[in-house]
Amino acid sequence: MKSLMTCLAFAVLLAAGCSRDSSTSPDAVSMNSGDSSGSAKGDFGPPQGEPVKAMLTSPPNVPPPTGRSAPAKVIVELEVIEKEMAISEGVTYTFWTFGGTVPGSFIRVRQGDTVEFHLMNAPDNKMPHNIDLHGVTGPGGGAASSFTAPGHQSRFTFKALNAGLFVYHCATAPVGMHVANGMYGLMLVEPPEGLPVVDREYYVMQGDFYTTGKYREKGHQPFDMQKAIDERPTYVLFNGSEGSLTGDKALAAKTGETVRLYVGNGGPNLVTSFHVIGEIFDKVWFEGGARFQENVQTTLIPAGGAAMMQFKLEVPGSYILVDHSIFRAFNKGALAILKAEGPENKAIYSGKEVDEMYLGDRAQPNLAAVATAAAAASSGKLTVAQQIKAGQALFAGTCSTCHQADGRGLEGVFPPLAKSDWIAREPEIPATAMLHGLQGKITVNGKDYTSVMPPMSQLTDDEVANIATYVLNSWGNPGGRVTKDEAAEIRKRPPAK
Amino acid sequence: MTKMNSIAAFALAACLPCGAIAQPLKPGVLPSDSVYLLPLTLTDQDGIVHEWNSYRGKPRLVTMFYTSCQYICPLIIDAGKAIERSLTPAQLQRLGVVMISLDPARDSATALKETAAKRRIDTARWSLVAPPAADVRAAAAVLGIRYRQLADGDFNHTSVLILLDPDGRVLARTEQMGSNSDPGFLDAVRRATDGGP
Amino acid sequence: MNQLSLAGLGRLAALLFLGMPLAGALAGESGEYVAVPGGVFQSALRYEDVKDGVRIASFALMRAPVTNEQLLAFVKANPAWRRDRVPSVFAESRFLSHWKGPVELGPQALPQQPVTWVSWFAAGAYCEAQGARLPTWSEWEFAAAADETRTDARRDPAWRERILDWYSRPSTSALPRVGLQAPNAYGVQDLHGLVWEWTGDFSSLLVSGDNRNQGDADDTRFCGAGAISMKDNDDYAVMMRVAMLSSLEGADATANLGFRCAKDLP
Repeated sequence: MKSLMTCLAFAVLLAAGCSRDSSTSPDAVSMNSGDSSGSAKGDFGPPQGEPVKAMLTSPPNVPPPTGRSAPAKVIVELEVIEKEMAISEGVTYTFWTFGGTVPGSFIRVRQGDTVEFHLMNAPDNKMPHNIDLHGVTGPGGGAASSFTAPGHQSRFTFKALNAGLFVYHCATAPVGMHVANGMYGLMLVEPPEGLPVVDREYYVMQGDFYTTGKYREKGHQPFDMQKAIDERPTYVLFNGSEGSLTGDKALAAKTGETVRLYVGNGGPNLVTSFHVIGEIFDKVWFEGGARFQENVQTTLIPAGGAAMMQFKLEVPGSYILVDHSIFRAFNKGALAILKAEGPENKAIYSGKEVDEMYLGDRAQPNLAAVATAAAAASSGKLTVAQQIKAGQALFAGTCSTCHQADGRGLEGVFPPLAKSDWIAREPEIPATAMLHGLQGKITVNGKDYTSVMPPMSQLTDDEVANIATYVLNSWGNPGGRVTKDEAAEIRKRPPAK
Repeated sequence: MTKMNSIAAFALAACLPCGAIAQPLKPGVLPSDSVYLLPLTLTDQDGIVHEWNSYRGKPRLVTMFYTSCQYICPLIIDAGKAIERSLTPAQLQRLGVVMISLDPARDSATALKETAAKRRIDTARWSLVAPPAADVRAAAAVLGIRYRQLADGDFNHTSVLILLDPDGRVLARTEQMGSNSDPGFLDAVRRATDGGP
Repeated sequence: MNQLSLAGLGRLAALLFLGMPLAGALAGESGEYVAVPGGVFQSALRYEDVKDGVRIASFALMRAPVTNEQLLAFVKANPAWRRDRVPSVFAESRFLSHWKGPVELGPQALPQQPVTWVSWFAAGAYCEAQGARLPTWSEWEFAAAADETRTDARRDPAWRERILDWYSRPSTSALPRVGLQAPNAYGVQDLHGLVWEWTGDFSSLLVSGDNRNQGDADDTRFCGAGAISMKDNDDYAVMMRVAMLSSLEGADATANLGFRCAKDLP
């Protein structure tokens, strides 16, 4: 962050001292030298020439550069379609879409264009919708002027005064629900000189999704408003469905090419830590603005925000796009693949060169631990202290998986053994529970438990004695001792209760 | 003779791990890291039975494949041929190739012979062989090849060319298939087939 | 697929238990086999070729992993497998290195501990000597889906928590004896919480070294298929086992890897 501020400060200082840079190099003008003075200087006058119909594309494709050098009137026609689609394999969801896809169609115009925006609401839809384009200067970003009932269309016109990469989304109440159902997309407003030419451009948008069922629970899943309010997403996805950009739908490129990604974050709630595994972003137009940072590994994209990044591919392979809040990538689906084909370049990346033995500094189980384990089977000749030690080793080998190493159990499932009022009633209880099992409701330390503990008939009398002695003397339990003979005697009793 | 007993017999015949490079081996004794120590009986495309260790004596390219494979296996063959094309005649004479089938149930001698003909393989230098079904996993294990048989009888598998020295030690491996040879691997083949008897 | 009658199962089980000392049976003596009735099983792995589930024929599985003591008996009877005689192509140099000598256990290797530092070739040879074999991955996964009372406990978050608990236990604590843990619903012990175990077809787990590449389009890696991916990301037991077994070759051995044997049932 600090270097970013320094960089910006430096750029501003540079600009303050000189007039607007007249260089025609696309990298220099309005990108890191001087400032573009924002919307104040963004009006290039009335549109010229015939009106142009905007070419809208479905994700992950991006329309080609406008190639314009003068402001134009651009007609954008975008239809809202509510439709059921797969959100994951075997799982369907009712999405609300702009243009039939999540994210919605990509709109590409040039700074200074006058955009005549038509919003159509398909007649089969249930809900009214509107649109707020972040690139619009005007009330609601257009939302106030585009509220449309099903089977209607509305129109408003705006001038794109600021260059940048902008989110658009539906803003009909409840806004969170409309966004959560997939009503978002990106609009690119090119700077007047256009963006530097690259070999590939792709459109990716992250969103969080909230279903009543669990992640990958099959069937049709409804939207879960409470989870959305609590910000507990079920899915975090690129382009609206798990696997939308993997397998044979992976993004394609070749080594030697420069790829630019237009990445949006529709939210509704989460900020993303966007990262491409195996690549570094040569340039990031962070937040979709006019400046770029260089050599970035992971960039933050706010909810309702976007970023542009580009990188050159040197080595073939699969490059995984993730939200680096990593459980979202591997447990909620925020994973996409960019596949680069081409010749290997071992000088840059060799692949695994060596896989051989590593002897290291072998940390052997210490002899004391092994001796204790050996002693664990012979409680008859041990002191109480030795029994406790042996019992602890045995406890770790089996009991701890349910009751935990510190005896705290698992709330509602496995009762605690630590400072247990249940155990304190009678010193024979641990051994009895081990040998005969425990069923039915018990109350331990004020909480009820109804799980089943099967009889541990695989334990020897020595082992039962040692474990019981350990439990009685640990975690605030009252103390005591169980001998091998006592364990044998308890084993012979018929199971009570 | 069970597999385990025969492993034992061959192991006794092996040199103890005693710096096998440093000491000259007695003829007939395989080094401890030789893949030929695995007892394995192979039937080739002419129906002739060979013991796996009878392939010792010259450097060899070894791989695993199956004849019904449409996908990568043709590229494995191409890779082998491409290597051969880059050798001098003298080097070529010193090299042998063994392709071991993952699929003995379907890869009879006839099937192997058809594949050899279809792919124009010179069986004077190349052996296409099938092991008993029960031994495929062990053969793959000594070669470090991984495979899974699918419900329809096809296989998913790693595609590897392995260079063995005359005593069956692994000198090099490559997973680069097709006609563009892995330069590091090709170098290793050249060095292995230079000079010598 | 074999369908065993209940009576047949009982007779078979009795046959398998024949000759075992009673005390041994009580303590879960290893070397015993239990019959595991087969079925159709949904793996936690995504198999494109068996979408409706894997058919598992009924099979017999050793109740507990093979012990140091059992492997010692095998090595004594088959001296070609002594660690100082076995070729390195079948077992790496650390094979049975925790024993005091080639045919002597010593204080670091208790007789009843599961044997570790054992290679796949050695494990297979041991099983073959018993007239048995290593279990398949599917057999392992099938038997390991069970907890003490249910044959498939995989959906239970408490059960998954228990699996995860094992991973936090450091390797410096000595391994307990085999058979210390309660048997699962099939009567099999220690499939979790003790050691990793070899399977006969460990090399059928085709994964990428970077298993973040799930859904990767690269069909060339395994001749017509990409790497295996998880269907159930919460099945940590399977996920970790696949990662472990896919990182090994047949001659490798580690401090936490052992095995048990299986048999076909007629």
